[in-house]
This record gives sequence, structure tokens and C-alpha cells, in this order.
Amino acid sequence: MSMLEVKDLHVSYGAIKAVQGISFKLEEGETVALIGSNGAGKSTTLRTISGLEKAKSGSIVFQGHELTKLKPHQIVELGIAHVPEGRRVFARMSVDENLRMGANVVQDKAKVKAELERVYEIFPRLKEREKQLAGTLSGGEQQMLALGRALMTNGSLLMLDEPSMGLAPIIVEDIFRIIRQINESGTSILLIEQNAFLALTTASHAYVLETGRITMEGPSAELLADERVKAAYLGA
Amino acid sequence: MATILQYLVYGLQLGSVYALLALGYTMVYGIVGMINTAHGDFLMIGALGTFFIAKLFENFHVDGTYPMLIVGLIILIAMVITGGIAVGVEAIAYRPLRNKPRMIALITAVGVSMFLENFPRALPFIGPNPRPFPTLFINRTFRVLGASITSTQVIMIVLAALTMVALDRFVAKTKIGGQMRAVSMDKDAANLMGINVNKVISITFFIGGALAAVSGICYASAYPQVEVYMGSWLGNMSFVAAVLGGIGDIRGAMLGGFILGIAQIFATAINSTFGYAVGFIILIIILLVKPAGIMGKLTIEKV
Repeated sequence: MSMLEVKDLHVSYGAIKAVQGISFKLEEGETVALIGSNGAGKSTTLRTISGLEKAKSGSIVFQGHELTKLKPHQIVELGIAHVPEGRRVFARMSVDENLRMGANVVQDKAKVKAELERVYEIFPRLKEREKQLAGTLSGGEQQMLALGRALMTNGSLLMLDEPSMGLAPIIVEDIFRIIRQINESGTSILLIEQNAFLALTTASHAYVLETGRITMEGPSAELLADERVKAAYLGA
Repeated sequence: MATILQYLVYGLQLGSVYALLALGYTMVYGIVGMINTAHGDFLMIGALGTFFIAKLFENFHVDGTYPMLIVGLIILIAMVITGGIAVGVEAIAYRPLRNKPRMIALITAVGVSMFLENFPRALPFIGPNPRPFPTLFINRTFRVLGASITSTQVIMIVLAALTMVALDRFVAKTKIGGQMRAVSMDKDAANLMGINVNKVISITFFIGGALAAVSGICYASAYPQVEVYMGSWLGNMSFVAAVLGGIGDIRGAMLGGFILGIAQIFATAINSTFGYAVGFIILIIILLVKPAGIMGKLTIEKV
């Protein structure tokens, strides 16, 4: 059984059909990417998995649990960590407080401490800025904080919504190196990216979304070589 | 000098009523972004509730008042009941509208306020007539530097101050307090941290309601009369206090409440019709100079 299985998912905002019957799978330990342009329904898909949006129909099964009827906090407790689009750090809290917010669902204090140390080890920049208010960090640092905060929830699946958005290329490279590292340490990753090249070189499997539907799917290497993908998303 | 001190004490007394009520306003605004115009009516429910609870404890009545322990119990029950009603109001009236445009919640709040005032008015055992509020605190008068200060005033001001310090520490230091701050900054992100946002909002309404009850008890102890409309004007004034201090900011609400209370008392001393106007004059001046209020920070959305 797959770790995450989305089947025939439909989501609407009023009359607007944002997601129109998509299905995809993610195996444990894998990195899967959803690529597509603005308005294709990528963020909506992630938000629905997290319970922030309600599905109109279809099912989302994570490790045997049906998610469409659960509240967002229950979904986090099941082990899904979501780094939202635009980072959304708590601006008037310190870096340390932000990270501790992520540990809300973790009861064991020793575990929280160990996780905090691990996050500071992955992101030494955050350790340096421990007491600084999150709102005063640079974009790249905020992305690191958003990632670290999500790691603190101790989830087994990490969902990333456009981690490269608005960041300088050199920082993007850094962030993606860390994403790969997180995946290697055993966390499964569902990645959304507009930067298709970056997504396809990070994920093992990918789905292409267009106006709420999946139009192509396959192993990343195949999609990278596909003429249609090249023309539409890789600008080659 | 004695007169000034005397007015200052009155001002602090009225200010503590405003401040306690403004806290609820500001917390609810901070966390759900709505102006709960029915908040003043929670004060009335607290005061009216205290009236009835005190009746239940009539057997303990000695020398025109109650033993300290019973008074504490009466206040506690009134706080819990008012807090509970506030939670119920949120769950029934406001929660279904949370993601709708703000104007809808605002109009609903006006409706809730009318309901909370007129429903008890229609109940045969409550009705529209004012009732005398029971004496809860021992009334002794001290002379300090020529001014006379009653024990009720001292108890009220101390009670209000302690409540505020406790609330401030609660929000800054506890886990629930941290969750409240997280929800107030970004509800989606708070959800993604595994915070039960509905629970946090309920707790906020509970605290707001409980503080309104304390405020109602303080007010009715000073002006010992309770009736169903008493919360409406006080609610307006404490809303002004909350905006004055910077809406959404807890310390701002306390500061705003005390500024307003003291200003109103001094203004009334000069000219009795001027008292209520002065709050609004201060409000206009502050908003002209500092649009976000005294402690408020203008939020600039960084995209």
C-alpha cells in the first residue's frame, strides 16, 4: 500500500473548480513532485491534503487513514507536515518560538529538544538568529525557518509548496540540497514547484497538473526528456 | 491636591472597569479579526448573573455582606457562566461566519448584542427593571492625604490589576498563550502546526467573557444597580479604550482603559456633560497622531 493515495479528488472555491478529479500516489521514502503553472491547482491540492480546504469529492488516504473528514490539527498529528506557500512564519515570534510552535503535537519534551538540536544542526543560520523576530529575517532565512518548523512536527511526510519562490538562485540551491538531505534521512516528500527543472531533478516521480487535471505523469527522468514537458515547462 | 488624588482614585476605579472589558475586545479582535459589539453585554450577564448567584447564597449573608470565601466563590461562578455564554455565542453565531466577509460578522454581532439585551428583558424573572446590586465587599473608608478611599475601590483596582498581570503572563508564557499568539498571527500556519484553532478561539472567548464578568462586578459594586442595557454604553467606551491603546494589543487595552477612565472622571469634574465626550476627543487625537493606537503596530504585509 502506498503511503499517500489521492483518488479522484475534486475541490472548488464557490463556482471555480480548482481541482477536477486528480489521482496520484506517493510511496514511503519517495520524493514526488507536482509541477504546473500558476492556477493549475497545485497549492489547492496540498491545502486539501492538510485539511485547510474541504474536498468536494474523492478520497485522500494517508497510511490507512481517510483525511478528507479530519481537521487540520488531526492531520498534523497523523504525521503530515506542510510548509505553506509564502513561508507564513509567525512574524512577531522569535525563531526559537516559531520552531517550538512546530513541536505542538509532540508531547515528549526530550524529543522536542533533540529535534530542535537537529534543526539547528541542519540550519546553523537559524541558531545564530535564535532570538531574532522571524519577521526580520531575510526571505531565504524565513524559508529555512518554515522548513525547520515543519520538521519540528516530526511528521513522516513533508509537503513543500514552492520552496524556491522569491529566493536568489544560490539560496534555492542551498534549500534544495537540504530538501534532498531530509529525504535521505527517511522523510517522504511531496514537492510543488513552478521551477520544473528543479522539481524533476529532485523528485523520483512527478505529475504534471494543468487547470486542475493531471495531464502527464511518470518517473522524473522520463518527464525531463519528454518533448512536451521541455516545451511547456523547461523552456528548451 | 486631595481633590486630585480623589479623582485619580475614581478614575482608576472606572478605568479598571474599562480596561477589563477592553481586554476581551482586543483579544477577540486579535485572534479572529472581528469587532464583537456584543462584548459589552457579557459585562451585563456577569453583573446580572452575580445578582442571582448572590441570591442563591443568601443563607451565608451576614452583616449586609458575605464572607470572603463566599464572595470569591460567587465571583468565580459568575466568571465561569459568563465565559461559557461567550463560548456559546462564538460557536453558534460567529464560527459559521468565520471565513465570510468581516461585515457579515459585524452585523451578526450587533444582532447578538440585541438578543443578549432583550432576551433577558423578556424573561419574567429578569425583566427590564433595574435591581440593586448586592454588597460583596466590606465597605470601609480610609482617609489618605485628605482623600477618602473605600475598601471596595481598593479591592476593585487590585483585582483588576492582578487579573491583567495574570493574563499578560498567561499569553506570554504558557503553551495555550503561545498558541493564541500563533492563531492571531496566521490561522492557516497555526493549523499546520497542529494547533486546534477552534479550541484556541473558544478559550479566548471564555477568557474575554470571564474578564467581562469581573468588570461587571467591579462596575456594579461602584454603581450598585444592574439592568439589561448596562453593558451597551460601557461596551462602547471600552471599545474606544481598546482602539486607543492599539486594538489587538493586550497591554494597550489596559493602558487605554485607564487613560479613558481617568480622563472621563477629570472631565466630568470640570463639566458634567463633558465627561463622555472626552474619550472620543482623546481617541480622535491619538488616531490622528498614531493611527494604530498607542501600543499598536501598523502591520505592513510583506509579500
